Amino acid sequence: MRRWLIAVLVASTMGASAATAAEVSIRTYSVPAGGHPHDVAVGADGIVWYTAQRSGHLGRLDPSTGKVDLIALGAGAAPHGVIIGPDGAPWITEGGTNAIVRVDPQSREVRRWPLPEARGYANLNTLTFDKRGRVWFTGQNGIYGRLDPGTGDMQVWDAPRGRGPYGITTTPQGDVYYASLAGSHIARVDLDTGAATIIEPPTRDQGARRVWSDSKGRIWVSEWNSGNVSRYDPKANAWKTWRLPGEAPRTYAVYVDDRDQVWLSEWSANAVVRFDPEAEKFDVFPSDKKGSNVRQMLGRPGEVWAPESGADRLVVYRAK
Amino acid sequence: MKGAAAALACALAATAVLPSAPRADPARGAQLFQRCYACHSVVAGEDKLPGPNLRGVLGRRAGTLPGFRFSPAMIEAGAGGLVWNRQTLDAFLTDPERMVPGTEMGLPAGLPAPADRRDVIDYLEEAGR
Repeated sequence: MRRWLIAVLVASTMGASAATAAEVSIRTYSVPAGGHPHDVAVGADGIVWYTAQRSGHLGRLDPSTGKVDLIALGAGAAPHGVIIGPDGAPWITEGGTNAIVRVDPQSREVRRWPLPEARGYANLNTLTFDKRGRVWFTGQNGIYGRLDPGTGDMQVWDAPRGRGPYGITTTPQGDVYYASLAGSHIARVDLDTGAATIIEPPTRDQGARRVWSDSKGRIWVSEWNSGNVSRYDPKANAWKTWRLPGEAPRTYAVYVDDRDQVWLSEWSANAVVRFDPEAEKFDVFPSDKKGSNVRQMLGRPGEVWAPESGADRLVVYRAK
Repeated sequence: MKGAAAALACALAATAVLPSAPRADPARGAQLFQRCYACHSVVAGEDKLPGPNLRGVLGRRAGTLPGFRFSPAMIEAGAGGLVWNRQTLDAFLTDPERMVPGTEMGLPAGLPAPADRRDVIDYLEEAGR
């Protein structure tokens, strides 16, 4: 089940960097077949949680033993996103039943906050906590929302250009941004009023899919249609864009690690890609499984996790 | 391509009774289509979504809608003979990756109930007229 792999291919816009790739170890964990792990989150204790979207479970992996437990989320469940909340618990956008879900990490009790019925099916996507203990979420059918778990108050807003809200993140400074895949923009959310302000990336119809912040509060965007990764600097109100290696890249996921290295998944190359913004250099780590389909990445200091939805595996990249 | 062709053959065998099945409910299908709505449209000209426009999809060869960038897997499946009809759509909506390994389409909430799939296909058929 476990294997150590060596990164075998390094591509670069400024020259190869095999030494850099050799500094990364890759370890894979098989999870129960048919779950199609969509998103993953790792807690401070090293326990890894993932959404088994197809089977309707939350998965729990103990990397020290490789043991996987599945927690059923109920009839009709098809969980999409998972993050670790400030309470140390996994929080889920439960797309199948249109609810925000918390699973207690000890008792494994499943608690649900359904969206208002009048809102209809939202196709819930991703979620993030702000610095005030409230969870913000996106729904691809054209909404974004906010839940205060303390009071149970839930607000849902229409996205300014309809369908598309996908990835969402909170900067270290506490600002919340989301990406609109169908709307090809990112938006900053006013934490008090809930109003979303659209910010247009420079590439037209780029398909902004996911967003993540670096330590300076700059927003990194994975662009599905264009195959770019772009960076928005709110202080300067300026963008910078880089195209991933390959003839026709498809950039799906983005995550910025504790050293401000930018991790991406690229579907045309069936690979995870690391981008060094200082050197403007890409390192490419192809999967050894065909159609690995990494849809999201998340980590903690020293390690980055990627769920291979097409291979029923979780993969961790660690600095040696 | 062999994998897709084999999956298609299995799917056709498994759904061979569908043509004689009674037509279901396109209105309910429209409601169920909300599970597809984030990526697909049946409105003519609405073509900048993550998935291909599905207006007139019945009868279309897989991976061939002009202007849409399909996955290599879908293009290969179309070249291998996959054409969208009631049976093939039913099989695809049952398990996209089994039908076309490598497809970019996920099925977030799934359509595990045959009646749901039939209603959605009815809706697509209506929308194509």
